[in-house]
Amino acid sequence: MRGEPASRGPAGPGGAEGGAAMSAYLLVETQGPWEGPGCARFLADAVDLARDGDQVCVALLQDGVTAAVGRPLLEVEELVVLGAQVWVDRFSVAQRALLRAPLPVGAELVEMDKIAARLLDPEVRVVWH
Amino acid sequence: MARVPRSDVLLAIMGAPHASDLVTSALRLIEALLDHGGRVQVWTCGYATLLTQASLGDRKPRNLVAWSHEYPSTAAVVRDLLESAQGRLAWYSCRFCGEERGVTGHIPQVTVRPPLKFGEHVAAANKTIFMGVI
Repeated sequence: MRGEPASRGPAGPGGAEGGAAMSAYLLVETQGPWEGPGCARFLADAVDLARDGDQVCVALLQDGVTAAVGRPLLEVEELVVLGAQVWVDRFSVAQRALLRAPLPVGAELVEMDKIAARLLDPEVRVVWH
Repeated sequence: MARVPRSDVLLAIMGAPHASDLVTSALRLIEALLDHGGRVQVWTCGYATLLTQASLGDRKPRNLVAWSHEYPSTAAVVRDLLESAQGRLAWYSCRFCGEERGVTGHIPQVTVRPPLKFGEHVAAANKTIFMGVI
């Protein structure tokens, strides 16, 4: 999926400015980086979508929070730079005694409530990994 | 069985409960979706079919380091969720996966369905989310 930045404009989900309509995604990562390359690859897909102009929100849950807390993956930092939302599940962080570990600038600790609200948005496509 | 009711979300829990904290996430998500007024279906496959076994009873075995504290079984948690959801939550379990793993009976609030009916549940949901792998 990696490639040149697309020329699509800043229209919201379903908008048509600049050509093809943008999509909105909620991408949930539950695996940690040490479990294999799957976590980084999934986040790289999120980077590609954001680079193409899609509206991307990545929610890190369970071991997935370790992609952001402490030393974040490069893909997480790229997502923030691209303007994607990076949500880190507070409960999962607390369960792993990582609440004092630093979060990358731009990432946000959230409750499940916020993830559920986004998931129910009919315009948002959801992938759970 | 009556027609599958429409839902906003179908959560297909595929992952084994003992493999990660997936079930905790699923239960938290279901509760949050219901709090937002969502209509939710859950379909369990694989070892997740064990979550609602009637033989689990209401409580987990006693915790040796917290002897006086009672912990509800997953079957009791699911039953309480279903009873408090006012018809906005339905829980289904795959017959094939359950029988293959020795699940001989579920709590009465859970409907057992053959795997070939899964498509009907996908068709009745606005979104389908697969959680984990078998």
